[in-house]
Amino acid sequence: MRWLIRRVLKKGKGSVSYEEDVHYGDVLTIGRAADQAIFLPDLRVALNHARATLLANGQYKVESLIIAGIRVNGDITYVTTVAPGATVEIGTTRLMLLPAPQDFDGGVEISTLDKTEQQVEKERRSKPTRLGQTRLSKRGPAWILFLLILVFGLALPMLGHFVPGIGEMLKHTPLPSSASWNPGTIDAAHQFFASDCEKCHQKAFLTVRDSACLSCHANTPAHADPVKFNLPQLGNAECRTCHQDHNGARGLVRTDQRLCSDCHVNLKARTQNASTLTDVGDFGTSHPEFKIDLPGWDAAGKFAPQRVTFAPDLKENSGLKFNHLKHLKPDGLETPKGRRTLDCVSCHVPDAGGAKMRPVNFEAMCHDCHTLGFDTLTPDRQVPHGKVTEVIYTLNEYYARVALEGGYADAKSPAIVQERRRPGSPPLSQQQQQEALAWARQQARSVTESLFTGRACTTCHKVTPPRQADDTWQIAPVRVSGVWYGDAKFTHAKHVTVKCEDCHAARKSEQSADLLIPGIGNCRACHGGAYAKDKVPTTCISCHDYHQSGTLKMGKL
Amino acid sequence: MHDSILTYAKSRYLWISLILLGGSTAAYLWHDPGGPPNGGTWLGYTLGTISALLIVWLMFFGIRKRNYLNNTGTLRGWLSAHIFLGTTLIVLVLLHAGFQVGWNIHTFAYVLMLIVIFSGFFGLFAYLRYPAMMTRNRDSASRDAMLDEVAEIDQNALALADGIDPKIHAIVLRSIENTRLGGGVWTQLRAHDGSDLAIASLQKALANRDKKKETPTAEMPTMFAMVDFLAERATDKQGEAMRKLIDLVSRKKALATKVARDIQFQAMMEIWLYFHVPVSFALLAALIAHIVSSFFYW
Repeated sequence: MRWLIRRVLKKGKGSVSYEEDVHYGDVLTIGRAADQAIFLPDLRVALNHARATLLANGQYKVESLIIAGIRVNGDITYVTTVAPGATVEIGTTRLMLLPAPQDFDGGVEISTLDKTEQQVEKERRSKPTRLGQTRLSKRGPAWILFLLILVFGLALPMLGHFVPGIGEMLKHTPLPSSASWNPGTIDAAHQFFASDCEKCHQKAFLTVRDSACLSCHANTPAHADPVKFNLPQLGNAECRTCHQDHNGARGLVRTDQRLCSDCHVNLKARTQNASTLTDVGDFGTSHPEFKIDLPGWDAAGKFAPQRVTFAPDLKENSGLKFNHLKHLKPDGLETPKGRRTLDCVSCHVPDAGGAKMRPVNFEAMCHDCHTLGFDTLTPDRQVPHGKVTEVIYTLNEYYARVALEGGYADAKSPAIVQERRRPGSPPLSQQQQQEALAWARQQARSVTESLFTGRACTTCHKVTPPRQADDTWQIAPVRVSGVWYGDAKFTHAKHVTVKCEDCHAARKSEQSADLLIPGIGNCRACHGGAYAKDKVPTTCISCHDYHQSGTLKMGKL
Repeated sequence: MHDSILTYAKSRYLWISLILLGGSTAAYLWHDPGGPPNGGTWLGYTLGTISALLIVWLMFFGIRKRNYLNNTGTLRGWLSAHIFLGTTLIVLVLLHAGFQVGWNIHTFAYVLMLIVIFSGFFGLFAYLRYPAMMTRNRDSASRDAMLDEVAEIDQNALALADGIDPKIHAIVLRSIENTRLGGGVWTQLRAHDGSDLAIASLQKALANRDKKKETPTAEMPTMFAMVDFLAERATDKQGEAMRKLIDLVSRKKALATKVARDIQFQAMMEIWLYFHVPVSFALLAALIAHIVSSFFYW
């Protein structure tokens, strides 16, 4: 085989000359030894470094004969088959395998790398030694992250707001919708429409308008009439002034003291006497004594409670005569059904809401002992605990029947009333009937008087006898239980851990005029102001509502 | 004593930061927002504005440190302020949010901010720790000087090896080919000089090339093993040359390790910036999204 060996000689200033040689043999040996076909006098070349063989298809097989290997087309290798045109680098020499030149089987061009080429080669091969030379970058990732977050964190949810269809679609994809802007848990009461941001946030870059709230809350009571009470705090107040959502499931309602105390100062002067409310601040230190609604009735007999400032020696007029001490005897009471010890709950039962006490019920609570019998001959018969006229009807009708039927075993009554009517005896004559009915009227009248003034009604009620002939008996109206503090929302249900006696001195009360409702001093035994440390911290909202107007609605303001 | 960046100007910025933190905390404790504390109260807006301005200002440090003509304060002062005021943001932002967190863009911004700040902490740690270690490691030589020495040793080792045995010459030649310092991010950070990796890949190639042939290098993964090999094969005549060669190769290995350590220290001092800077831009975007979205749905 004929090999063309062409040496490239550099002569400076870029000019080159070629020196050609012919080698005969199957194998082209390369090395530093003198017997090598290509002799390379370089310490970085082994004596027998490598060899090249010509293959039948015109390609070259290149082999390294030492463990250091050879660099073929830039990569270290031991044996490889390459097409003509490949370069083999050994030390500072570059061999280029040529396509077989004319009249030759194979060819190789040998050139020496000069200093600059060596340097370039070294740099090309050297690995990065600073992070800046690696693929790491600051600018690229910074831009990518910046844009990604702007697009997905801002632009996409915003698009969802302006194009409702896209907004709806986003909610059903893992992509961020406007829900990703939700800064906190929405109040429990609003959670049923929480995914619908536009329900409240109707216009971009505008605060939530009252109109959005009032679409549901039109019937929420207002606080006070801003026309009557000319206060900027009242007139300018928006819903959001107090109510900020996204603050947790119970975060929407303000309960702090400042909500009220900031405004409830010097109200009288500030409202030009429209308000009569006294200044109020901390419950523990600057809350006025309670105003209590004492039972009272107007001239027409309509219940009209009187609001007065609570005082320990205040008397009430419930309309009832009742001695708590007697009824609450610790060793019990003799009753028709045996000995019974009464307790507060025997008569005072909370209503279903747990706030108030149910009215005391005569039939259920008093009747067992306080029977309304009126005739010893028929002890089972009783008058109803009802209207005066009904009592009188009952007595009239009862004695009329007794008189006409006869058999009334009272020696003091006329014979015709005592006489038993037997079957077949003749009917009463008109005169006999009149005599019997005259007795009946008399009897009913006297029993009525005895009931109202002696035995029954007057035990508990204030009874006024008829003054004129067409007058009737008057029973004074009664109010035993009810709401005593109309503007507060006291509830018994929250105070079941406290004994009744702790607040109501009923066990010592002998007169029903004793006011058994406690004042603020009693509350303050346990409740302190908003910042109390050793008592239950209590703010205005604990007992009062802001939205408390009985007449004015938010939607009508 | 050397004035550390932390004690710059008598810790002026530490005190400023502590005052800022103390003031904000006191205001937070004093403030009674009526409901749960949140970013929508006047204090929330105030602390949010301060925090947002701080973030933007802290990011200007990247511009300020490149601007050598700028005379507003020394760069050391800027860095000291950057570190301390940046750290206050961890608390400042929590106070701004009233400690409310959730799965939303707002907390996302906070998490990004924490990543930026804690990567900055690592940077501070690296700047306080590695320069001294680098100086010790280099032992008053520069990296280029060490690399030149390695090249010189290579030449001398080749000359020596050539006088001993062609096989040893080949081994030394291979060691030169395979000792390449530096590499990818991970290689730089782990102080690898690359020879081990190169040898492992060569072993594979060797095994593929010729399984019949006994290859003396197959069981020698490191240069030290090669030294053992050299020692085993040494003849009495070549004793002197061998000892010299072993000395040279050990010296080279030591130098290569030093260079790799040098590269590692430098990489450790730089790597955190590749998180710090891009994530701070991510934070800037999240901050913009946070502010705009807050007022979009006011």
